[in-house]
Amino acid sequence: MLEIKFHGRGGQGIVLASQMLGLAFFKAGNYPQCYSLFGGERRGAPVVSFLRVDENEILLKCEIKQPNELLCFDETLISPQELHNQMVPGSKILVNTGQSRGYFKRFLGFTLGLVDGRAVAEQFGLGHMINTAMVGAYCRLNGNLALKYVFEAVREMVPAKEKANLDAVRQGYSAVSIIDSERVT
Amino acid sequence: MRKFITGNHAVAEAVRLCRTQLVAAYPITPQTPIYEKLSDWEAAGELGGHMMRTESEHSAMAACLSASLAGIRTFTATSSQGLALMHEMLHFASGCRTAVVMCCVNRTMAAPWAFWSDQTDSLSQRDTGWIQIYCENNQEALDSVIQAFRVAEQVLLPCMVVIEANFISHFMEPVEVPSQRRVDSFLPQINIPKRFELENPGFAVPVVSQAQYQRYRKLSQEAMAYALEVIEEVDQEFGDTFGRHYGFVEEVGTEGAELVLVTTATITSTARVVIERLRQEGHKIGLVKIRVFRPFPVQTLKKTLDSAPKIAVIDRNISLGREGIFCSELKAGLINASARAHVQGYLAGIGGTNVSPSLIERIVKDALSREDIVDEPIWIAEENSC
Repeated sequence: MLEIKFHGRGGQGIVLASQMLGLAFFKAGNYPQCYSLFGGERRGAPVVSFLRVDENEILLKCEIKQPNELLCFDETLISPQELHNQMVPGSKILVNTGQSRGYFKRFLGFTLGLVDGRAVAEQFGLGHMINTAMVGAYCRLNGNLALKYVFEAVREMVPAKEKANLDAVRQGYSAVSIIDSERVT
Repeated sequence: MRKFITGNHAVAEAVRLCRTQLVAAYPITPQTPIYEKLSDWEAAGELGGHMMRTESEHSAMAACLSASLAGIRTFTATSSQGLALMHEMLHFASGCRTAVVMCCVNRTMAAPWAFWSDQTDSLSQRDTGWIQIYCENNQEALDSVIQAFRVAEQVLLPCMVVIEANFISHFMEPVEVPSQRRVDSFLPQINIPKRFELENPGFAVPVVSQAQYQRYRKLSQEAMAYALEVIEEVDQEFGDTFGRHYGFVEEVGTEGAELVLVTTATITSTARVVIERLRQEGHKIGLVKIRVFRPFPVQTLKKTLDSAPKIAVIDRNISLGREGIFCSELKAGLINASARAHVQGYLAGIGGTNVSPSLIERIVKDALSREDIVDEPIWIAEENSC
């Protein structure tokens, strides 16, 4: 079972990103379960959302405490120590970042996907809304989810700028740079 | 059609499919998405019925029960403080023998202020004369709303379908949304007595003598007994039509079990995973889910649990000064059973804290190894959550 965490800041479209990916996995024939922790979130404050994916019905109605994939929308929210405490060893981690590969040498033992989601979003006039770029990049990092299901989900769920968002998915998919855990070490 | 939706959305789908004529409600987290979804459909001309945006939950229930007295199919949804504010009108809705259906999304009662799952809000309405059904997942939430209209309209008692904050209300899962045609065939047009007539005005709530009041109460209690029969019939017919049925109580592997775990709502779902694993490892552990709380299915529980030597009840609620409310109810229900079991109460998930498989396993291990039952509830929580 995949247990995916989405970590970012209020206003970046974290919740919608998790729901879009959930819908994409659903369309691909999987059983997804998606939830967000709502409380006193505000724009700019850290926000988390979660997605489980399995082939069979998911009975667990509890929180994901040790995810095996992470989509980090803001690199300032993660540190190598926290990742080691929180994530299953060997997890796949997608980071929205403008930093070079060298910066991530400290993140030993994980497969990293690096994408400048902000640059992709700006390229298509989406401002801070980097979720579609991230979803596209995730699709390539995951490797088992066909891009066509992500397109279908985005078409159904984005509230506006459909073409720009679909372009951002495609560009995120192409632009992501993947570093295997072995190569980092 | 299978859709990937939240529990709130699933409830809204059921309300629309039931051709509900009046929805009167006031927003409160975490119920608000039900209200919003129904409002969206109304704005798009896809609801069929009317939305009434009242100034409080108290007024929402007043509107619903009045409409029900006029023979209209009505629905409302609320949580926590909203339900508490409705409390007075809940008694009116049952005392007037209306068929109002409500979804209560369990949420912590203030103070302090929080947004998480805790069953104390709906359980505090135990004595208002409402039927109460506790749901385990999004599918059961949708199905139970459809069943609730059938039951409420046949018995003439209001029915509360209870789901949990976050774990159902905001969890998105695949849900089978039945076709309008099939729901229409299962749930006919409403046909309850019309007790408000413009041409023939009168009191819906007469002033009565002591003996008359007692007679009304006895009739309502008889209606609750009748509700047990109707809930079972409706559930079976639902199963024949839609292929899913739930019962008052569901038992998993109780025969020959050394210990039976009793759960409600979403904790049941997670417990299924734990019980299956423990049984594969050779432990004789059974699981009983209580779905219907009012009327309380005493006979079914006595039959199901009579041979269980040990019972552990998990409650995500508390009656302060006593214990978990399902535990108290179960103990009272089993007091006259032939072989009286030892019932140990556990509190887990209070305030919406996480009830993981490992937490449930700790409860099972504690209950198995415990020599003496204690009358006080045992608090069990994950590290860093207490």
